[in-house]
Amino acid sequence: MLDKSTRRDFLKRSATVATGALILPQIIPSTALGMGGKLPPSDRIVMGGIGLGSQGTSNMRTFLEHKHQVQFVAVCDVDAKNAANAKGIIDAENKSNDCRIYGDYREFLEKEKLDAVSIALPDHWHGLIYSAAANKKLDVYGEKPICRTIKDGQTIVNAVEKNNIIWQTGSWQRSQSNFHHAVELVRNGRIGKIKTIEVGLPNGGRGIGTPPIKEVPAELNWDMWLGPALKVPYRGVSHWNWRWMLDYSGGQLTDWAGHHIDIANWGADLEHTGPIEISGEGVYPTEGIYNVPVEYDFLCKYANGIEMRVANSARLVHGGGATWYGEKGWINVDRGRIEASDPKILQEVIGPNEIQIYKSDDHWQNFIDCVRSRKQAIAPIQVAYRAISVALLGEIAMTTGQKIQWDPEKEVIIGNPVASRLLSRPYRQPWSLPTI
Amino acid sequence: MKKIYLILLVFAGLLTVFNACQPKKSTSYKALIVTGQNNHYWKSSSPILQQLLEQTGLFTADIAKSPEKGGDMNSFNPDFSKYNVIVIDYNGESWSEKTKSAFVEYVKNGGGVVSYHAGDNSFPEWKEYNEMIGLGGWGDRTEKDGPYIYFKHDSLITDSSAGRGGNHGKRHEFEIRNRNTEHPITKGLPQRWVHGTDELYAQLRGPGKNMEIIASAYSDTAQNGTGRDEPILMTISYGKGRIFHSTLGHPDEDGGPALQCVGFITTFQRGAEWAATGNVTQKIPYDFPTAAGSSYRPDFKELTLQEDLAKIAQYDISKSTKYFTDLQSRIRHEAKTAAEFQQFEKQLIKVLESKEATDDGKRLLLREISWMGSELSIPIIHELAKSESLKDAAEYALARLQPTK
Repeated sequence: MLDKSTRRDFLKRSATVATGALILPQIIPSTALGMGGKLPPSDRIVMGGIGLGSQGTSNMRTFLEHKHQVQFVAVCDVDAKNAANAKGIIDAENKSNDCRIYGDYREFLEKEKLDAVSIALPDHWHGLIYSAAANKKLDVYGEKPICRTIKDGQTIVNAVEKNNIIWQTGSWQRSQSNFHHAVELVRNGRIGKIKTIEVGLPNGGRGIGTPPIKEVPAELNWDMWLGPALKVPYRGVSHWNWRWMLDYSGGQLTDWAGHHIDIANWGADLEHTGPIEISGEGVYPTEGIYNVPVEYDFLCKYANGIEMRVANSARLVHGGGATWYGEKGWINVDRGRIEASDPKILQEVIGPNEIQIYKSDDHWQNFIDCVRSRKQAIAPIQVAYRAISVALLGEIAMTTGQKIQWDPEKEVIIGNPVASRLLSRPYRQPWSLPTI
Repeated sequence: MKKIYLILLVFAGLLTVFNACQPKKSTSYKALIVTGQNNHYWKSSSPILQQLLEQTGLFTADIAKSPEKGGDMNSFNPDFSKYNVIVIDYNGESWSEKTKSAFVEYVKNGGGVVSYHAGDNSFPEWKEYNEMIGLGGWGDRTEKDGPYIYFKHDSLITDSSAGRGGNHGKRHEFEIRNRNTEHPITKGLPQRWVHGTDELYAQLRGPGKNMEIIASAYSDTAQNGTGRDEPILMTISYGKGRIFHSTLGHPDEDGGPALQCVGFITTFQRGAEWAATGNVTQKIPYDFPTAAGSSYRPDFKELTLQEDLAKIAQYDISKSTKYFTDLQSRIRHEAKTAAEFQQFEKQLIKVLESKEATDDGKRLLLREISWMGSELSIPIIHELAKSESLKDAAEYALARLQPTK
């Protein structure tokens, strides 16, 4: 009967309502009304947020702009200032003082009765929190890249599939018309059979040296911020700039993989597979605490013969974005731009009997609609996992200096136990990745 | 004091072991660098070129200085025949007829030549010399001196249109593409690599006879370049002689980035050996630049593994991580088999075991060992896990090396 929550959950929630506990949510989620997740259009989706830094707050604000469709009721952040700021925004919107604040996602997930959650965290937390939210059967709007390691990614995909939740990745380029147009042209053979792809991503992460150890601000739970990552002293580098340290991120490469590699895969119909051979080189900083590759250039070969080169945009003829080279021409697409070897290609109209590509013109609305309709969102977890896998395998090739052979079906590195160690990162006790 | 001696002894021991692994080379070839007049800082470049030739272990290198401009060029008579390779770091007045014919005889009889950077600006009027270098620039070279030769869309273009010979845009880092990956000079190098900040010579023209362009670079119009793929490294045969022509290496007063570039250094050293012998025996250095980025040696010499490890042993987080990234690069380039990984691992273990090495240094090495190590490291990592400061990093390494435990 209940295709979203289990009956036991339903009963438990009903019991909570019945006892009228003090933690009783002001807004009863529609699941508790016996709608089984199939929300009537008049009902708002009850949401919470985990991670309310710049990206998380931006996502939340965008959801709130979709008036009368969602209602935020709780937020969770290891930085109390971030959480308080988000509560201020929510309370102003709700014209109340009821938004609840948490510093520990476990307590948040345990106590809050939500339909969906918006999550924007440093990558090293994704494996644990995305899978925990999925296991609570919450629909998730989750930021890209969806994982720090291949193993984290596999765990998240399994959790999403097992719990049959709606997942939307924050790769919003999918909901932009120029990207959609490019993908539709490529998929319908307007530049012929695809031979090679170039993906241009920004340079980044050039250093700040080694800032001195600082007292942890009262509002920040530093140990919880680090979570499964190695314990290191606080140097004032946490929000935003975690991007430049390998313990938390792979740098611009892994950040932007979630956008442009995702688009490249979409156009070339590679979004449910992966490369079979990866090799390349990176350039690493020689000063300070930032240690992600500042430049990179690697080549991925696919079973169908396509070769994808991923590199700093400055190294590529067309610069940033995704460029597909086919037998009859090329198309390049980047933010605010679409170009082709022949401008006439871009005027082509896709007929009704041709391949129609999933269309969304509002990434957040698409998530809301799918939470209601229970249909797959435009950026599902599986394709996000395949996009970041390309970058993570590139990272392994650059770290080891070896040509990596990858089995995209079994999702294992072939014949290389040393490189295979890099498919996961050990978690600091007491954290451990669940087996799902 | 005893401790310091001990650690010095350990490193001295490692040094001996490491050196024993290197093939023995004999300095059996003689090189002569010809200089003394140039519109470039030859007083800085010639000693650097000398150092680069000698550090291969293959060459002893002399420097022949011409008289200053306006001096008696008749007094300049180097005995070319004593040498296996002549390096032209010269761009000045014409040599005497006697010296010129001695040079032509030397090359015809199988002598080697390296034309370095502005060497191809030299002697616009000397026909034989221009045949040797294939292409030249400046010195009022025009269509009378031969066509432009370059690549356009991967086709080799010979372009006889009128115009000046020799040009370059702004100095910048640029990508070099090897056009022949099987030539002894370029074999084993990455097909594309980023050269250090330098002038990108363009619009060279000349007879181009018996010449092969083994590497080119795109001269970007955004850098005031030509929009063509211009020749960068060339080989030419003249009589029985071999000429290696490198347009790279613009010298500053103190050397500068073009000469510090490992790509310049390596192609110069390999080109000199090829010109002298027709072969290249040098191995590709671990720090050769890649398509992803440039690589520099500020002191023009390659660090040894032991120098890197000694610095890592003294590392604290405020210091440069260059020596650690060097070590990582060596492992990437030199270790492919389990045995090769263990060669490195044994060296890393010695630092982990050292009482003098810093915890910050050990922490870096524990991360590295976590993926490339083996059971050899387990005992020392267990030992380090007892230290409060290294416990986390040690447990991290153990979790990777012993995933089932």
